[in-house]
Amino acid sequence: MSEEKRLHPITAVMNALKTLKEAFIPFVILIFLNRGERESFLDYLPFLVMGAMVILFLFLGVIKWWRFKYWVEEDELKIEQGLFVKKKRYIPFERIQSLNYTEGVLHRPLKLVKVKVETAGSSSTLESEAELTAITKVEADDLNRMISAAKKRLKEEHSVVPEGEEIVEQEPDEQVLYKMSPKDLVVMATTSGGAGVVIGGILIFLSQFGEIIPYEAVFQELIDFVQAGFLLAGILAVVVFFVAWLIAVGLTFLRYAHFTVKLVDKDIVITRGLLEKKQTTVPLKRIQGITFDQNIMREPFGYTSVTIESAGGSVLEKDSNAIRLLPMIREKETYAILDEILPEYHWKTEFTGAPKRALKRYIFWKVLFSLVLIVPVSYFFFPLGLISLILIPLAVILGWMQYKTAGWSASHDQLTLKYRGISKQIVYLKKKRIQSVEWTQTFFQHKGDVATLHATIKSYTSGSHSSIAHVAKEDADLVMDWYSPEAEVKKVHEPIMTNPELEGQ
Amino acid sequence: MMGRQEPKMRISERALTVWKLYGWISAAVTLLIGAGLTTLTLIFDWSVWFIIGSAIALILEIVLFVFVLPTLKWKRWRYEVREEEIELQHGIFIVTRTLVPMVRVQHVETEQGPILRKYRLATVSISTAATLHQIPALDINEADALRDSISALARVAEDDV
Repeated sequence: MSEEKRLHPITAVMNALKTLKEAFIPFVILIFLNRGERESFLDYLPFLVMGAMVILFLFLGVIKWWRFKYWVEEDELKIEQGLFVKKKRYIPFERIQSLNYTEGVLHRPLKLVKVKVETAGSSSTLESEAELTAITKVEADDLNRMISAAKKRLKEEHSVVPEGEEIVEQEPDEQVLYKMSPKDLVVMATTSGGAGVVIGGILIFLSQFGEIIPYEAVFQELIDFVQAGFLLAGILAVVVFFVAWLIAVGLTFLRYAHFTVKLVDKDIVITRGLLEKKQTTVPLKRIQGITFDQNIMREPFGYTSVTIESAGGSVLEKDSNAIRLLPMIREKETYAILDEILPEYHWKTEFTGAPKRALKRYIFWKVLFSLVLIVPVSYFFFPLGLISLILIPLAVILGWMQYKTAGWSASHDQLTLKYRGISKQIVYLKKKRIQSVEWTQTFFQHKGDVATLHATIKSYTSGSHSSIAHVAKEDADLVMDWYSPEAEVKKVHEPIMTNPELEGQ
Repeated sequence: MMGRQEPKMRISERALTVWKLYGWISAAVTLLIGAGLTTLTLIFDWSVWFIIGSAIALILEIVLFVFVLPTLKWKRWRYEVREEEIELQHGIFIVTRTLVPMVRVQHVETEQGPILRKYRLATVSISTAATLHQIPALDINEADALRDSISALARVAEDDV
């Protein structure tokens, strides 16, 4: 595959569509500004301009496609592109972490994929990111094979292979670990607050187009309607929520249908999507930490969502450093799957909580902040504003829940932090992945002899930070001693085995 | 166990001089603004509170940023570089203690601006894969020695960051 290649010609259309998408909002504004009577030729000008621009975009798309060439040479992926300024980009295979595939609506009938080249995360290598907009699946798989073969060869050159030992080429092991059921998808859509987002979106949309919609008339009618019967209004509200919920379910299906987690060789491969199929590859050794996230609607039902923090990834995809491994699953089902992927992690462990004296700290500040809100609201909107007083018991309850949740655990090679903003989070960090440990102590915390404990791991180009507030100061010091290579504390807590087969390891 | 010991080393005493100098510089800027405001007040016959306000602001700034805070900051700043780890402590209102193992250190830098250079001081920056830690205003010889010893002690572990 050393000859120069072009992407599939459909790329030209995709390029044009991408530019068009970016110009969509100005177009809409143009159309709206241009309502009204059409009297002269000039009134049609915006449409002519738009038409010309679409043709221009198509033309540019074709040129961009024509100038984009890629080939493989000397274990490097080489890309050449650019109309006036010719850009050449050479990516050595050993820098490539993985190829991630996306199949859009245009890709699928032609058996094409979009390939994102993910490189090892380091801020100086942002330049080496690359994307092949549309190549055939066969070509992509060829490329993938060549990269892993080259990597293997490089590895063997570095390590000494005992003589006479044959290196057996073997097909990568493929093992399906998890498939998301439609039922889980529905539960996910229902508990994600997606319906609320849909309703909110509609409201924002309506407020934006307030001038077009005759609100007063609608409002008057609504009042008549409510007067006609609370039953009808109630039914209407239920219908609105039901439709919003349906839309949320639909959106979730679009993004997460066929969600499958596979273990291929030493990579986790996640595929998902209904119309646009996405495939994400995460090399196991790039995983920096695991987070269990239970939002308040999922917690009572024992559902959780598991994300992995990876050091690799792509800047082209915003949410790529926190990858959803198990978006929606019963907590007790997670351990069996995770033990397959990451047997070195301990999922259950004893925790040390925050000391009793911390409880008032968890509550006090929240109540104080809610008062900042309550006092003016109650004053200016008396007496209706008094409803805001409900924030006080809510603040107390949240503070108490945060206090109950907070906990830390340090086994011989793993730090586990448990804390709550509103959602409950459990973060599993291996000692060798933690970049630094820190405690901070405000003046008031010093008085109460407590401190906030922080641990940072690498997450693509920056760090990912976890912290629990108001642990006993001596516990913060203990964790630091545990983390310190020079101190003698080796472990504080014993892990609880979730997989009996791994006992004794 | 009675908690960890504070790190032993303090930063250079000349840091105090530099921080006070920074305080004087920002006070000079405030003075200029205050003088401008005073002039305008006199010309346009504004409220006398503008003059009083800028005088108070100037005095407060000098007291805080020249006399009080630099000393507190200097007293709090501690660091210690051991065989296998670096420990830092700083912060006036929020005390921060940080522990960075040597194997996590990716590179060390010293840097100095014109003012720091005049006082033969330098800032040492220690980077891990995810975090950046700085020791401000060390004696330049000490900073260079520290940089060299950290980069000699630091070796990136075999594990992928």
